[in-house]
Amino acid sequence: MSEVRIPDGLWDTGRIPEAIVANWFYADGSDVTEGATIAEVMAEKTSYDIGAPDSGRLTILVPKDGVVTPGTVIGRIEPA
Amino acid sequence: MQSNRVLTISRAMAEAIGQEMKRDERVFVMGEDIATYGGIFGATTGLLDEFGEERVRDTPISETGFIGAGVGAAMAGMRPIVELMFVDFYGVCMDAISNLAAKNIYFSGGNCTVPMVLMTATGGGYNDAGQHSQALHATFAHLPGMKVVAPSNAYDAKGLMISAIRDDSPVIFMFHKGLQGLAWMDWPETAAAVVPEDAYEIPFGKANVLREGKDVTIVALSMMVHRAMEAAGELAKEGVDAEVIDLRTLVPLDRETVIASVKKTGRLIVVDEDYSSYGMTAEIIASIAEEDPAMLKAPPKRIAYPDIPVPYSRPMENFALPDAQKIMAAARAMLPRVAA
Repeated sequence: MSEVRIPDGLWDTGRIPEAIVANWFYADGSDVTEGATIAEVMAEKTSYDIGAPDSGRLTILVPKDGVVTPGTVIGRIEPA
Repeated sequence: MQSNRVLTISRAMAEAIGQEMKRDERVFVMGEDIATYGGIFGATTGLLDEFGEERVRDTPISETGFIGAGVGAAMAGMRPIVELMFVDFYGVCMDAISNLAAKNIYFSGGNCTVPMVLMTATGGGYNDAGQHSQALHATFAHLPGMKVVAPSNAYDAKGLMISAIRDDSPVIFMFHKGLQGLAWMDWPETAAAVVPEDAYEIPFGKANVLREGKDVTIVALSMMVHRAMEAAGELAKEGVDAEVIDLRTLVPLDRETVIASVKKTGRLIVVDEDYSSYGMTAEIIASIAEEDPAMLKAPPKRIAYPDIPVPYSRPMENFALPDAQKIMAAARAMLPRVAA
């Protein structure tokens, strides 16, 4: 099982404390491939892509429009 | 492999452009803020990193200059994609579009094609006032020599963009800001769609019957497809069975699909975010009248933008915009009253 985690240092948290999940590109329960862009987070008006850390079945933990900070686990990927 | 990836329109456009740039070295992109920023509506995100500044070119604020340069590049053998940031800015560059891009194949006796895509952002609903909110579909569709497309969802956006790039005519690719799937602007979730990874084309002039029905035909494109589907869903609860047609392209126009539908339903509502007079709505109604007005069981109805500049004020803009409520009211007025 791998966690989909918001990495540290994506944006300047001193200036912008939190971001939101702007989009999920796969539905909950979909099979994803390692490296595929699975989500997009937005801090102010800048978007950052989040890649799949592993291949397998995706469980979404933070839905679209959910608030995130560095370290937030937004999903899980389990071996299909 | 069956794709399960759900993309937004902006990503579908960027993917289509990137795939065609990989396939054909003659394809390049230029426009204001399309490179470093990735397009203010996300249509070129990631392309600068992938292809470099030679093929992904930021331009000065000089539409008549860089669109004119696009026409020249196209006539010299390249396949440029040029972005006009807001369609509302057409006034400063219509000579390059309508007098050069659209006419040069005729003026050259067919010797010089102009394989250029002009992509441009349309539509309002987010309070950006009279110079940043117009749809202007008919302004381009009315002038000969250009193909005009306006997708409602990400699947169509990718296929229509690839068709546009491969087409030897100038194509105006009109994308609605409120459908792009941007995090900073509300958008209907139905604009996102499962988009295959591989390249595919969607032919121009083929409307899409999104919902079949027997009581009334609702014809729309771009954002208004989503308003029409919303209205159809509500009307179904009242026992009204609406057919919804997404035109997808204005030029060429799939009149046949509309005629076949109205022959079946006998009722027609046409919805467009562009101005009401002399527009797409009138064109569709004329197509039915020219075919056989006897197929209509009720007078046809157009629901479009009133003939006024788009107001800045939120309540005023919302009052003017076509929406599901207006479509539903029109449908109810056409149908025989069911005894309560």
